[in-house]
Amino acid sequence: MVKFQSMLRYVAASVLLVTSMATVAQETIKVGMSGRYFPFTFVQQDKLQGFEVDIWDEIAKRNDWQVEYVTANFSGLFGLLETGRIDTISNQITMTDERKAKYLFSTPYVVDGAQIVVRKGNTAINSIDDLAGKRVAVNLGSNFEQLLRKHDTDNQINIVTYDAGIEQDVALGRSDAFVMDRVSSLALIKKSGLPLALAGEPFELIENAMPFVDNAKGQQLQLAVNATLQAMHQDGRLSEISQKWFDGDITRK
Amino acid sequence: MSSFDFNYLAGLFPILFRYLGITLQMAAMASVVALVLALVLALIRVFKIPLANGFVVVFISFFRGTPLLVQLFILYYGLPQLIPALIGLDAFSAAVIGLSLHFSAYMAESLRAAIQAVPRSQWEASYAFGMTRIQALRRIVLPQAVRTALPSLMNYLIDLLKSTSLAFTLGLTEIMAKAQMEASSSFKFFESYLAVALIYWGIVLLSTHLQSKLEAHLSKAY
Repeated sequence: MVKFQSMLRYVAASVLLVTSMATVAQETIKVGMSGRYFPFTFVQQDKLQGFEVDIWDEIAKRNDWQVEYVTANFSGLFGLLETGRIDTISNQITMTDERKAKYLFSTPYVVDGAQIVVRKGNTAINSIDDLAGKRVAVNLGSNFEQLLRKHDTDNQINIVTYDAGIEQDVALGRSDAFVMDRVSSLALIKKSGLPLALAGEPFELIENAMPFVDNAKGQQLQLAVNATLQAMHQDGRLSEISQKWFDGDITRK
Repeated sequence: MSSFDFNYLAGLFPILFRYLGITLQMAAMASVVALVLALVLALIRVFKIPLANGFVVVFISFFRGTPLLVQLFILYYGLPQLIPALIGLDAFSAAVIGLSLHFSAYMAESLRAAIQAVPRSQWEASYAFGMTRIQALRRIVLPQAVRTALPSLMNYLIDLLKSTSLAFTLGLTEIMAKAQMEASSSFKFFESYLAVALIYWGIVLLSTHLQSKLEAHLSKAY
């Protein structure tokens, strides 16, 4: 009798456990971000918004998940992920070899890289090869001069270093182009309103993605997020979100 | 050159006030825990309680000798890797625990100094009246020591309040975090940080006002 009772209790406990686990399975996905990287994740009038937020709202909607945004200082984000307090980070995390060794990554949802920017209407420059003999502006302290020289082995490009105002100089026609990372270029063009345009594809690519902890739950999330990102790529939703924030598509090459 | 945007500054206050509660709760809870803990630590050192004394010396040395940020990182991100049960610790509790341990170490030394500054004759006179050590401490020595310790304890409580801004590293959004986030989208850094500075300053003014009242009260006998 006693045995039967304890067995009943055991069954009841298991049922409870399973049902509570089922509710956990429908649980909210916790996405960590800094809230301090305009226009990816930022706060305006106490409202968290930006490119990352739009993307995760969409991923959650398509998977019927609840999404909870956890804002923390950037230096705390990987600690939160590591200790399971968040499920992923959506903060333009670049896939470095060190990180790839430790975490599972989604497929890249932002492709960044060194970008050539010219005055609007200039069709003569479409790639790094077209820069030979041209005057190209770069910012002081950036590594774009080294990147250009790596491709331009016989010193054909006239590289000029600026402290500030490279966008004005190209808009005025004093320089033929400037080189900067693509995301910042788009933000700069949008903010300044100057007649500038991207020329060709970015070179020296950087890919940004969302990291997950390498365990069963992380693998499951990675699969689901990848499938959703692919669908969002195909139906143009990803590009649409990018256009909204950058007036350009940073989600593909 | 952009000019000072007064309207933006004024508009920030209602937003920051929404998060003031978190800052104040964290500071208040940590202050109480730190004060109680500091008294215990100080008494262990004053009475040189065997074994415990050595432990307290190491405790104070560690918590004064390492940065608060490092302690918070160890508590919230480091220890859960060794002790999985600690993952259940939420950011608020971790911040309160971290602040309490850190500041109790400083305040214990202030209290110890104040207790030891009470002349030995006060203890001896108490014993002559037939008081026990605990009675002498509670009735005669502590009331005098607290009066001496108050200004320096207040220093630490003010520092504790301002240190709550480190909690954003644990994902806790308090007034400093909110000001930083608003600043990074509006690029109005001066206005944002000025707003949050004025709020901290206001709280400190209020608490120093309470301190001077308390000091006046404690000095009545003198």
